[in-house]
Amino acid sequence: MTDTFLFEAEAKDEGLKTVGTSATRIDGLDKISGAAQFVDDIDFGPGLLHAAIVESPYAYARILSIDTSAAEAASGVVRVATGKDFPYKFGMYMEDRYIFAQDHVRFVGEQVAGVVARTHREAVQAAKLIAVEYEVLKPLLDPKEAVAEGADLIHPDLDGYVHVPWFFPKAGTNIAHWRKIRKGDTEKAFAEADYVLEDTYRVPRYAHCAIEPHVTVSKLDYADRLTVWTASQSPHTQRHLFAEALAPLGFAHKDVRVITPYVGGGFGGKAGVSMEIIGAAMATLVKGRPVKLRFTREQEFINTYQRQGVVAELKVGVKSDGEITAVEHKLYWDAGAYVEYGANVVNAAGLSASGPYRVPNITNDSICIYTNLPPGGPYRGFGYSEFHFGLESHMDRIAEAIGMDAVEFRRKNAIVEGDELAYGAHMNPSGMIEAIDKTAAAIDWGVEETSANPNTVIGKGIALFWKAPAMPPNSSSASFLKFNEDGSINITVSGMELGQGYLTVMAQIAGEVLSVPVNKIRVETPDTDRNPYEWQTVASHVTWSSGLAVEKAAIEARAKIFDVIHQVYGYEDDSLYLEDEKVKCKTDPTFAKPLREFVINGIQTEDGTWRGGPIVASGKFMPEFTNANSDPETGQCGHPNVHYTVGATGVVLEIDKQTGRVWVRKAALAVDAGRAINPDLVNGQITGGLVQGLATVLYEDMRFDDGGKMLNPTFTDYKIPTAFDIPDEVIPIIVEVPQPDGPFGARGVGEHTMIGAAPVIANAVYNALGVRITSMPITQEKIAMAVIQKSKT
Amino acid sequence: MVIANEFDYQRPSTLADVTRMLAEHPGSARILAGGTDLVAWLRDDAIAPDLVVDIKNITGIHDLKVEGSALRIGALVTFSDLIESEVIAAHAPLLAEMAETVASQGIRNRATMVGNICSAVPSCDAGPVLLAYDTTVHLVGPSGARSVDINDWFVGLRKTARTDDEVVTHLTIALRPHGGVYVKLMRYAGEDLAQAAVGIVAYPDDDYRVTFGAVAPTPIRSTRIEDALHGKPLTESAVAEVVAMVRDEISPITDIRASAEYRTRMTEVMLERGLWAASERLAGRGPAYGDRLI
Amino acid sequence: MELNLNINGEHWALDVAPADVLLDVLRDKIGVKSPKIGCERGDCGSCTVLMDGRSVRSCLILAVEADGHDITTVEGISSDGLSELQNLFLVNNSFQCGFCAPGIVLSATELLEHNPNPTRHDVQEAIVGNLCRCTGYEPIIKAVLAAGKGGSE
Repeated sequence: MTDTFLFEAEAKDEGLKTVGTSATRIDGLDKISGAAQFVDDIDFGPGLLHAAIVESPYAYARILSIDTSAAEAASGVVRVATGKDFPYKFGMYMEDRYIFAQDHVRFVGEQVAGVVARTHREAVQAAKLIAVEYEVLKPLLDPKEAVAEGADLIHPDLDGYVHVPWFFPKAGTNIAHWRKIRKGDTEKAFAEADYVLEDTYRVPRYAHCAIEPHVTVSKLDYADRLTVWTASQSPHTQRHLFAEALAPLGFAHKDVRVITPYVGGGFGGKAGVSMEIIGAAMATLVKGRPVKLRFTREQEFINTYQRQGVVAELKVGVKSDGEITAVEHKLYWDAGAYVEYGANVVNAAGLSASGPYRVPNITNDSICIYTNLPPGGPYRGFGYSEFHFGLESHMDRIAEAIGMDAVEFRRKNAIVEGDELAYGAHMNPSGMIEAIDKTAAAIDWGVEETSANPNTVIGKGIALFWKAPAMPPNSSSASFLKFNEDGSINITVSGMELGQGYLTVMAQIAGEVLSVPVNKIRVETPDTDRNPYEWQTVASHVTWSSGLAVEKAAIEARAKIFDVIHQVYGYEDDSLYLEDEKVKCKTDPTFAKPLREFVINGIQTEDGTWRGGPIVASGKFMPEFTNANSDPETGQCGHPNVHYTVGATGVVLEIDKQTGRVWVRKAALAVDAGRAINPDLVNGQITGGLVQGLATVLYEDMRFDDGGKMLNPTFTDYKIPTAFDIPDEVIPIIVEVPQPDGPFGARGVGEHTMIGAAPVIANAVYNALGVRITSMPITQEKIAMAVIQKSKT
Repeated sequence: MVIANEFDYQRPSTLADVTRMLAEHPGSARILAGGTDLVAWLRDDAIAPDLVVDIKNITGIHDLKVEGSALRIGALVTFSDLIESEVIAAHAPLLAEMAETVASQGIRNRATMVGNICSAVPSCDAGPVLLAYDTTVHLVGPSGARSVDINDWFVGLRKTARTDDEVVTHLTIALRPHGGVYVKLMRYAGEDLAQAAVGIVAYPDDDYRVTFGAVAPTPIRSTRIEDALHGKPLTESAVAEVVAMVRDEISPITDIRASAEYRTRMTEVMLERGLWAASERLAGRGPAYGDRLI
Repeated sequence: MELNLNINGEHWALDVAPADVLLDVLRDKIGVKSPKIGCERGDCGSCTVLMDGRSVRSCLILAVEADGHDITTVEGISSDGLSELQNLFLVNNSFQCGFCAPGIVLSATELLEHNPNPTRHDVQEAIVGNLCRCTGYEPIIKAVLAAGKGGSE
């Protein structure tokens, strides 16, 4: 950790002008005026071709034949493609995936063939004419079935798959990865515990449901340059994966350009590569013509990443005074047909599944299991929402069993700075106790409330959360920065504006260092030819990582500015400072040189010659303290996670005893942002993430039939919240215990705000009705039927 | 999905033209009013007509007025028209209550109540309410006009008494003082199709109409429950008696939206809460129209 | 078939097929991009336009049905400078990814035309058909309520 940033972090009380303010978003005007351009809005002229794909109706089948002759002869068709055209594997962390299915299809919806035609209608009509013959096989739809003795192997060649060194697939099984933590001696600790609780929790799959569907336009020009316009969270990673996947066709990174404008919501679903490779590959078959592939809402549901389901077997032991002594957490992940990205979700969860607690004895087994269901992948929370449901439900149950208040139980055990983590490293500075106390106060914890309505009861619940960014140890960010004649700034980065306000936060960081107001700073959306590298906009890490890169670029620009001033006027660098877009001098109060006078053209000296010229700068950040050395059998001795963000969620619910209808009267959420660079935007993540989290537990209910087909791939039947389905009152609480190596002390919060929602509802439902529901979702129906069931016993 | 199957489109200005076009394309012409069902089916590839006949230019079928002792509601009256109508507010606020539960503003500005009972999906919102009223459906066909009592309108799953060459022109509803309620079970507070629904109209002298939606292939009336309530003041035991009958009157299915048992239990709850609300409203009291009971 | 429309005050004469949907014609033939393709079933509201001043789902309207009608999109509302409502959305940082924003601006504009001082419930009802995945709706509702109070908030 470098000291430059400690300096900035310590500037907390020195009158920050831009950082810490709720500046108006720099993309706000674009978005409310209709100016904001998304990929599907870009015009490519009358030559634009349209792609449609043919999907497998079976969850598991051998492809016997594909007859494309009728499609090839159909009106408007330019090209038809199948797996034969692209017999290459690709993948983010493991290469187990195909551009078009090869010999087998492994989930309902997997792409088998594609048509490129002159109009969208002709493409769709021609796709219907492609005849595929299958030999249907029996699918594996449950992770525990898929790991049972003698189960069919969904990936028989698993042993030969290329993968990152920190994954441990088990050859001859459907286990693609197994992350283990063995710390201390849980067997002994359980034997000596005063109370032990063991139970199983079930969390099904979920869909991201960004309102903008996935869409790409790809063009291989006559100079053999492939450009892909894509709604992606990860332009550089996409470029990398395209280049790798298409390397057999002769592509290298320099031959591929990815351009990403605004993205209409990502939530993880637009990270990595899912459908984009299909469009890019088909474009290579129609040189010189742009090809658009836009997914329908149904395709969004079934053929882009889903959030994995999990069966969680949890055992926790405590002393009678409430001290947690042991956690044993076994996570069986329904990871889907291809786990090239999703296996890292399993990995991340395995490292942290003992939760935000001080626990001396831990046995975690996080098992990534192939199933014949859509590929699991990154989803806001990255495995943490999934295991927190069981964990935080369990902690409430234990507190009750030993006669301890649920909040007191959390306070006693909450992880604090310096505590040893499951893998041996130590916890960063964080304000968990403050988060717990403020959340509990916000919902009047301890005060029982009765409802005025005879049909309803009121319950309260609390749940903690934590998460660390799940990234390779060398994930990096970079930034370019330049001034313009009017003293305005252009910053180029490859982080993505998904809605979280990333562009604005980068502007605020640079603006603070350079004393330039945010409305004079433009941060442009990426083009991999022009914008420097960013690993991906995931993991809630870009405020921290890209923020550091931008801060460094701004500091470099500032140094260059001071250098020019020093050259011309002789003032020492350490006597100079920036204020109100001018260079000023501590030792000469009369000196105030406006930036705009020289940041392009330099300063003329006494002899008529010039010094300076355009102020341009760059910054990069890559953590130098992380590694993936965690032992495969124990998980110890590595430093896989940069830091954790912590927080707490509390709710007050009113529930109709007969119908099970839940009103969230009040929801409080405290998250330790380190430093809220823009409080409005942090509040936006709190409210938005909370509502998305509540949706997973109260409304969203993905159903499959026993052939592995998703039965509700529409918003009609997969219910995401409307304006009526939100808490009556959300109380956002920003805690600020600085992250020492963060820009102005900031760390990420984007995913964390979802994580406590599911267990806090389970806990409040129990508090209100005395029914403990250990599977998600906890819908009206489930509550009503559980109440009826309870009244019978 | 883009509409893959192409078709011809006509927008005639007379009812005679409409029926002629329908007769010329037996079984392969579709009537287009609001389009919120039809265009969705076209996009889903669920239907592939040769001809779409847009009736929005026909005059005389957008009335919303009192005619004698009946309310006349034209085929082109939208759910928004019902909600915004002073005539409805004065004479049949139950229709506005039901209309407010349909989808959302942007759909209601186009979707017609008549279209809703012509599509006749089991969960159609207008079905139970129109069935609880004394409603008559008026149609014209090649051989002229005819009327169908609402009790004879829903003949089977998504099937009505309308033949392929007929078009509904308007509904009439006999007006009498009444209190009514439409209770709709949804999966959350936002837009949803009915998972189960109860429609009740309470006339003076303990005269009730009780209907159910989304718990059978069509909206249904329970004359058994109506008879059990008839002529007796509403008491807790009278309500309990008819609530106990619900299970035998309805035949809900279990599907991805809800289980049959939950639908049954909730119909019982809705009937109980609905009966009290409807009778209170008849007396000029009770929850305001539009307040949700569940 | 010939189609005559007024889009944001400008007259257009086009040739379309009966099966062409209004949303696609607006975006692809006229170049009006603010109504978005989100679900193509009328569930998400991102395709919302105003037809003769009323909010409708352009994904569920055949282009030919719009013959002779006036269509207003966000581009039309923004052309003379931001409306008071748009400005309140801006200063309240109401939107995040912005994909639902055009639809919500139009639904809320329709609301305020007919109900200048809406309640929280009225605002929620007006936008219930516009799905937003990012914001949790609260900052959107806040801005519309502020517009209802004559901008004071």
